[in-house]
Amino acid sequence: MIEVANLTKSFGSVRAISGISFSVAAGEIFGLLGPNGAGKTTTLRILATLLRADSGTASVAGYEVKSQAEAVRRSIGVVNGGMGLYDRLTGREILNYFGRLYGMSNGPINARIDELAEVLELGNALTRQAGGFSTGMKQKIVIARAVLHDPPVIFFDEATSGLDVMARRAVLDLVRRFARDGKVVVYSTHVMSEVEQLCDRLAIIFRGELVVRDTLAGLLSSTGKASLEEAFFATVRKSGLVQEEAA
Amino acid sequence: MRWRIISQVAGKEILSTLRDRRAIVSNLLLPLLLLPLIMLGLPLALGGLFNREQASETPVAVQNLSELPPELAELFEAANIAPFASDEPEEVVRSESASVGLRVPGDMANSVGAGEQVDLVLFSKQGNLAAEVAASKVRGAVDAYRQDLVAERLGAAGLDPSVLEPVTLRAVDASSTAERSSGQLSWIIPFFIAVWTLVGGQMTAIDATAGEKERGTLESLLVAPVRRSEVVMGKFLATMLFGLSAAVMAIIGYVAGGALLGSLVSSRLGGEGGEVVAMMGGSLQVTLTSVILLLTSTLLLAATLAALLLGVTMFARSFKEAQSYVAPLSFLLIIPVLALQFKDLLDLGLGIYLVPVVNVLLLMDDTVKGAVDGAALALTWSSLVIAIVLLLAFALRSFARENVIFRT
Repeated sequence: MIEVANLTKSFGSVRAISGISFSVAAGEIFGLLGPNGAGKTTTLRILATLLRADSGTASVAGYEVKSQAEAVRRSIGVVNGGMGLYDRLTGREILNYFGRLYGMSNGPINARIDELAEVLELGNALTRQAGGFSTGMKQKIVIARAVLHDPPVIFFDEATSGLDVMARRAVLDLVRRFARDGKVVVYSTHVMSEVEQLCDRLAIIFRGELVVRDTLAGLLSSTGKASLEEAFFATVRKSGLVQEEAA
Repeated sequence: MRWRIISQVAGKEILSTLRDRRAIVSNLLLPLLLLPLIMLGLPLALGGLFNREQASETPVAVQNLSELPPELAELFEAANIAPFASDEPEEVVRSESASVGLRVPGDMANSVGAGEQVDLVLFSKQGNLAAEVAASKVRGAVDAYRQDLVAERLGAAGLDPSVLEPVTLRAVDASSTAERSSGQLSWIIPFFIAVWTLVGGQMTAIDATAGEKERGTLESLLVAPVRRSEVVMGKFLATMLFGLSAAVMAIIGYVAGGALLGSLVSSRLGGEGGEVVAMMGGSLQVTLTSVILLLTSTLLLAATLAALLLGVTMFARSFKEAQSYVAPLSFLLIIPVLALQFKDLLDLGLGIYLVPVVNVLLLMDDTVKGAVDGAALALTWSSLVIAIVLLLAFALRSFARENVIFRT
């Protein structure tokens, strides 16, 4: 469903990512793990057709991100921790607006909104203006907006940042649910415990480079460490990318 | 481009703006009320002030009051001037005990009787409007006395007063009715229309660009299967609509307010008060043709400014930063409008009608004065259409640039 090969992207003289390659299959939760500024968001933005890679190829749901951008966008949902809502629109108006942008008609939009309202426990958020929502409720509407058109691929980028423990758990449950429904989930975060809880496979990105790609068990075994955090540090040290810091 | 998507984007921006109370006040209510208040309220207030000053009793400090000839005293009385004796009329005016003072020579009665020239000195604070009105009343009375005296002396010598004016010059105002009624300050009308077009559109433009970035909604919009050109066009239409609606409100406010207030109070104004109203454009009569021309020009101006606003505000990271970008744009309107005052002194030629924004302000001024030239109209509208296309291309380029979209 997702094939990424040798993606490279620079912003001016700063190389954001270099030679990133991975693939993700349907029903899989793939974790992109790395510290802030590692290149995770840049990678996801290229896959979401918001940025153009300098080199390399990527396809999502069978569509090439450069030449079939619109088809890719129809096939994806994006949940970003920094995403907001239109404060003066109600939850239903926001979802209705995006449903129409996705080419849906009234009947299917309303049916899908009602379905998502139940799954995400949106309560009266559909009839209230988003400016008065709690952070957790905002994120639920962001998720509803991302999956309204029932995309086969969903990208989560630091989706739990700023959420309290209850809202965070609700988001993680939803991620699992989407994977059970056969969707491809790419889960990008710097929170190791979330990767441990969710992901079937993971890739560690550090300073723009993909330093490892494995299952959690495989990574722990190859590094001989007991936790993901220890395995993470062992891996980035081994990659040689932290030598200057150590010095 | 798909109209279905463009209308959705525009509709969302319109709904969002309509739910913002500040936008309703600044886009609809203020332009509706402010122009009539300033254009008519000010001249009416000034007209009332002039009339009141004319009608009310004006105290005048007079040195050697006893020497004032009875004929002049009668003229003073007829003009509601109340002279009172003072040894220092200049000091009285300086201390503002009276707005006007008059020095009468100590032997005025004898001098007048002997047919000699008499020098009167008038004291007032120049630049003070009320003092100017009071001084003009004294000047009028003294002039009337002088003319009577001249006629009397010429008559005694067996001469007709017309001997003093062997040649007369009569000035006739050759301007059209529209030009006369638009007044000397009619340039204020295009200024207000232009300013409201900018003010009306800016809130929507900022909210639709920098606001989307600041809220974090732009990314979710751009990952939907919409083309950047459709997003730009939708936001452009919404911005233009609010710019246009604010300008239309200003026009409606002016036309309706002018008709209503003019008919209610014009009968109360006469003399100099009425002249002030006319000077300010208070007696402007707008024809259907001029309204259509004004609306078309305003539509093109609104489209130009909307495209410019979108292109510029897209660079901003936040609402606040966008406001700081927009503020200097108002100079684009203010500077040419200030120059409009001196339009009659400048040899502008038709070429000026090729300069976007400046041309539409000139054309609006021409429209208000009923002096629209066909070539100027064609040049203005076609240059604006070209400007709109170029500015939309600039806005689209801003929306397509990664370093602009993700400049947060």
